[in-house]
Amino acid sequence: MNELINGFPVLTVTGLTQGAIYALVALGYTLVYGVLRLINFAHSDVFMIGTFGAIWTWSAFGFDANSPRPSVGGALGLIALAIVVAAILCGIFAMLVEVTAYRPLRARNAPPLAFLITAIGASFVLSEGMAAFTNRRQFGVPAMLPTDPLFSIGSWQVTPLQLTTIAVAILMMVALDWFVQRTKFGRGIRAVAQDANTAALMGVNKNRVILLVFLIGGLMAGVAAVLSDMKAASTRFNVGFLIGLKAFAAAVLGGIGNLRGAALGGILLGLAENYGSAVFGTNFRDFIGFLVLILLLMFRPTGLLGESLGRARA
Amino acid sequence: MRQIFVRAIGGVALAALVLGGAAACKQDEGGTEGGSASKVCDLKIGFFGALSGGDAGLVTPGKQAADLAVKQYNAEHADCKVSIQAYDSQGKPELAGGLATSAVGDAKVVGIVGPAFSGESETANPIFQQAGLPVITQSATRPSLADNGWAIFHRGVGNDFSQGPAAAAYIKSINAAKVFVVDDQSAYGAGLADEVKKALGATVVASDKATDNQQDFSAIVTKVTSSGATALFYGGYTEEASPFLKQLRAGGYKGTFVGGDGIYDANMLSVTGNADVEGAVATCPCAPATTAKGTFVQDFKAEFNAEPGVYADVAYDLTKIYLEAIGEGKSSRADIQAFLKSYNKAGSATGVTYKWDDKGELDPAQVRVWSYIAKNGAWAPDKEIPKA
Amino acid sequence: MLLEVDNITLLYGRIQALHGITVHVNEGEIVALIGANGAGKTTTMRAVSGVRAIASGRIRFNGVDITRMRADLRVIQGICQSPEGRGVFPGMTVRENLEMGAYTRKDTGNIAKDMDHVLDLFPRLRERFKQAGGTLSGGEQQMLAVGRALMSRPKLLLLDEPSMGLAPMLIQQIFEIITEINQRDGTTILLVEQNAQQALSRAHRAYVLETGSIVKEGTGQELLHDPAVKDAYLGVA
Ligand SMILES: Nc1ncnc2c1ncn2[C@@H]1O[C@H](COP(=O)(O)OP(=O)(O)OP(=O)(O)O)[C@@H](O)[C@H]1O
Ligand SMILES: [Mg+2]
Repeated sequence: MNELINGFPVLTVTGLTQGAIYALVALGYTLVYGVLRLINFAHSDVFMIGTFGAIWTWSAFGFDANSPRPSVGGALGLIALAIVVAAILCGIFAMLVEVTAYRPLRARNAPPLAFLITAIGASFVLSEGMAAFTNRRQFGVPAMLPTDPLFSIGSWQVTPLQLTTIAVAILMMVALDWFVQRTKFGRGIRAVAQDANTAALMGVNKNRVILLVFLIGGLMAGVAAVLSDMKAASTRFNVGFLIGLKAFAAAVLGGIGNLRGAALGGILLGLAENYGSAVFGTNFRDFIGFLVLILLLMFRPTGLLGESLGRARA
Repeated sequence: MRQIFVRAIGGVALAALVLGGAAACKQDEGGTEGGSASKVCDLKIGFFGALSGGDAGLVTPGKQAADLAVKQYNAEHADCKVSIQAYDSQGKPELAGGLATSAVGDAKVVGIVGPAFSGESETANPIFQQAGLPVITQSATRPSLADNGWAIFHRGVGNDFSQGPAAAAYIKSINAAKVFVVDDQSAYGAGLADEVKKALGATVVASDKATDNQQDFSAIVTKVTSSGATALFYGGYTEEASPFLKQLRAGGYKGTFVGGDGIYDANMLSVTGNADVEGAVATCPCAPATTAKGTFVQDFKAEFNAEPGVYADVAYDLTKIYLEAIGEGKSSRADIQAFLKSYNKAGSATGVTYKWDDKGELDPAQVRVWSYIAKNGAWAPDKEIPKA
Repeated sequence: MLLEVDNITLLYGRIQALHGITVHVNEGEIVALIGANGAGKTTTMRAVSGVRAIASGRIRFNGVDITRMRADLRVIQGICQSPEGRGVFPGMTVRENLEMGAYTRKDTGNIAKDMDHVLDLFPRLRERFKQAGGTLSGGEQQMLAVGRALMSRPKLLLLDEPSMGLAPMLIQQIFEIITEINQRDGTTILLVEQNAQQALSRAHRAYVLETGSIVKEGTGQELLHDPAVKDAYLGVA
């Protein structure tokens, strides 16, 4: 308990940072669920590919775990570049998963269980493929941003990485919210999510919307992957599993299918894990995360903000 | 949930491997029938451990050394060769069972070097015990491994009862007033951390536990920095130790980072990066392989064009014990087990006298623990830690 | 001829719902489909709008063979269906629902004007402009569904039971609007109705469906006075 009180400011800031990463990954689960009623298990591995995309980008510029820290300007440029590369890479892989694993099944009206199996299969193909490609090795992340606190208010300190992570995550979420709520493509996504048949009668190309949704989920995962790389400081082929599970839990916590819910769920989970670890020990971290989820679902079965891209309001 | 699938699919893959392996073995046997009647040739020594994955750095040098020993043996016994059969467990207990079963099923395999880690030993050794297939581990240091009544079990290094107090002695020698202890809850990591805690007593101000595959250590980092500890002992492996150390440094921890032999590998250096790993300390019940006796170091360099890595000298000597038995005409698992029980000779590379007690442990007087410090991107041998 | 449906059959799994339907609609007409529950009226509409693939036969629209065309592409050709059971997007506002009707339109400049026009036709929708579709009353949703279909400026408007669930006064109103759309805007309409009296009196021509086949066709007035039709569908002895 003492640890929680003493460490509260730090635990809060680091919890928010981790939560922001969960939230970005959770968006991909929730978007796909919203339009397809499908849990895309391969999403966690798309994220994993992004963590490598960032490392490859940096190593193309000669940065590895042993490189000295670049200047702040250089670091921001390298981070921005890695975000672009990882986002594109993840977007492409997410769309590949849709086109190869799910679309053929939809064309044949396969039952939901078949989708579940191909989802797990796609997840394996990606993670084991990367395992083979990287020889199951662990890769260190080059140092980017300075680690000294950027500013502090009392005992509340924020490092450049924490600020960058939270700012980028908020930026991405605001942009996504705007896209889905305010643009024509976003309206198409919501239309398919709410009533796919009627959406077709309005001239919405369902397959194109689904592809778009996978692309957006992939982009978000790619951004999250770069942020997570810098925070975790290393990656390997299996990093997707745990973070994917957490992000999925975050999506359910907020109300699966609900974009703002995914963001809220991610942040709450990040905080709950940190506070819980401080009180009960870090070995209870995952236990606490899921305990919060189960308790919440008992009282609010559809999650904090209710299910679906608008469907719950019906 | 997915881990269940991992296991299921891993099982299928393994079954395929085993079947494939068995088919290959049959061919081997077919090719050699009609050889000398008294001598059995083409025997195999199994090498069991993480040859890929995040912890491979701890195990591959030993595999290279075993290959070297076999190559040297075969040069002298061209008419009746021996080979190394690799069992790549990735260091995962859940893969070890299937691999052990496949080793047991291959009658040509008469002895095992390994399993390299404690966790996988706990899964694999009961299977070896049932089949009477002797094992000598070069690096599994959890003390309780010797308490299972496995007659086939032999440990070629000191256990954590020797490494733990030595690590504690090291921490005392740097005058750390407050020590934080973390382990990864693995058989090895928790066992070692417990020994360190016991030996350090009240200077341990707090402790915490990490989990397998953990990526985000922010809560532990917060505890460490707010505890005011000036030294931290981590019981566990590189996979988690490396990101943990980097996050500790990013979180402002300035004290010493000490780990056991689980972090004494090249990955710990390259994945963590020179800047953050600099000054980290690893203890190891192994003398620097580069100071090994005889021609081992030269031979190893000539063969692999690299300095011998961790446990290379140990694995070399252990492999040679099996080769000695085979050279004397021992060709069954039972004969080799009996050979080990009465063995009493010094290894040519380590200089350690290999003589095992009933539980399969070496004489504690033979065990020496060294400290290594990360300096400029390499593990520099520091000193042999004096016995407390 | 704007729409030619030529001898189509359609299967729901093993159930054959349409047994060779032939229907045509000329430019500027209101054509009604009437028939008992389960006769296949909605199924015919689905075949025309493309949400269900047909098993055999051909469909031509505006001179183009659309038999194998995807539903969303038929919208671009100028066919818009207001589906049975309304299909209002529950989580979207009235405004967004109407905008969905104009989803495929390229002439974005005229959309605002058309929306005004629709809101003039259905003043209730103007009052509820920012309300979520799912919270509208049944009648309001029906108006929204019809209005939304109009927003695509269809050449052919498919209306499946637009009067379902409406109060008698509103039924009268909606049929007046249908006539108005047809006369003032020149929109061609294919109309499915249980309310045969109203439908036949407004339609230029009509078809009677029974268990997946056309059993009668003629002008609205002819069928309105046909004794068999009167007996079966107009509820007068
Ligand atoms: N999705 C479906 N799956 C299986 N059978 C269906 C499906 N939809 C309709 N049917 C069947 O096809 C036949 C025609 O149905 P349809 O909906 O076209 O009737 P309808 O004329 O529109 O009736 P109503 O006036 O009740 O709306 C019915 O027997 C119905 O049970
Ligand atoms: Mg109907």
